[in-house]
Amino acid sequence: MSVLRIGHINIRVLDMDEARNHYININGLIETHEDDQGNVYLKGWDEWDKYSVILSKSDTAGMNHIAYKVSCDGDLNTYKKSIEDYGIEVEEVPAGTLPCVGRALRFNIPSGHEMYLYAEKELVGTSVGSINPDPWPDDLKGVGVHWLDHALLMCELNPEEQVNKVAEATNFMIDVLGFYLVEQVMVGPDGDIQAATWLSCSNTPHDIAFVGGPKMGFHHAAFFLDSWEDVLKAADIMSKNRVKIDVTPQRHGITRGYTIYYFDPSGNRNETFGGLGYLAQPDRPVTTWTEDELGAGIFYHTRELVESFTTVYT
Amino acid sequence: MGCFYKKHLVEIDKTNESFICKQAQHILSGMAAMGKKGIPSGCHGGGCGVCKVHILDGKVKTKSMSREHISDEEIKLGIVLACRAYPESRIKLKVIGKISKNVLKTITKKKYGFV
Repeated sequence: MSVLRIGHINIRVLDMDEARNHYININGLIETHEDDQGNVYLKGWDEWDKYSVILSKSDTAGMNHIAYKVSCDGDLNTYKKSIEDYGIEVEEVPAGTLPCVGRALRFNIPSGHEMYLYAEKELVGTSVGSINPDPWPDDLKGVGVHWLDHALLMCELNPEEQVNKVAEATNFMIDVLGFYLVEQVMVGPDGDIQAATWLSCSNTPHDIAFVGGPKMGFHHAAFFLDSWEDVLKAADIMSKNRVKIDVTPQRHGITRGYTIYYFDPSGNRNETFGGLGYLAQPDRPVTTWTEDELGAGIFYHTRELVESFTTVYT
Repeated sequence: MGCFYKKHLVEIDKTNESFICKQAQHILSGMAAMGKKGIPSGCHGGGCGVCKVHILDGKVKTKSMSREHISDEEIKLGIVLACRAYPESRIKLKVIGKISKNVLKTITKKKYGFV
């Protein structure tokens, strides 16, 4: 029984035409479906399931839900019981509630974010197929991201009021969903407050991350690119198209990823995450970043936190 | 001159600074170009709410803005997000969002790293 990977993310957008242009022509995702309510479903060229991003028109920006794929249908029964035993209410939604997806579990993790677990999603294949495939397809648009890599969710952190939703969400992901802790930021006078965590359910440095902030929210969705060269070119494409870049190409100390932070037209932060970082394993010693070196953890070259990292999110 | 090239003076209340903003350019980009270093001007998409301004005088055209940060009542009062507001006349505005502290250049050390 296990969680395989991030399955999809449902992002709220203020203007669907602008959002479509961004996610298709800039990020290079491929539209695979549109439902009766006008929600738009997209996937990366290297992904084989029907979609990894759902765009929903709304009058606020942010994330509606995040979904993870589990290894088989039977897992859902086991997870349902263990989530309920942890004291969290679970709703089982029938197949098709999420389009092209089998039955699913819907619940809120302790930080408040809505999460789905599902086992089946319609298989459509990658853009290069599975028989004698070429390494990449010819008709990519924009950045041509490979896949949805991870998401970072902001969790309420107020140590003076004994509120630490980062730690609560982290414990839930580990104790109930079987994720393991890869990296963490420890702060406070005694360095004992877990202010940010990076967790894996696979062998990448993170499949989900939590960072403390004044209130719950959505920090970013990250899309995978192979190399530093791809990240540089992605930044060129963004500037050419007047995409608002938050942080230009740089390395993260944490996870070692090659990054660009940028915003979709509704202000939701995206990231291109380049490189595989390192082989994450459950028995790999947890990497800890201390408060005095926090800047280097997030942005390894400038070694300074940028104000927008913790104040600008949806 | 065609409409595309129209420009307007935007004055900032209190600091008495001003800048020229093209009609086709949102007010935040003009403000960011003033040269104040390190203005974390936010998402530029109407989603995060840090660039909230009160239009004290003049007319702006706005694009969609997150209702989490701008209510209907605020719109009636002329409170908008600068990244979604385009000048249609000479403007006088007051910066009221999180970016206002950067206009004043105060640096506060965070007690617990992120908060």
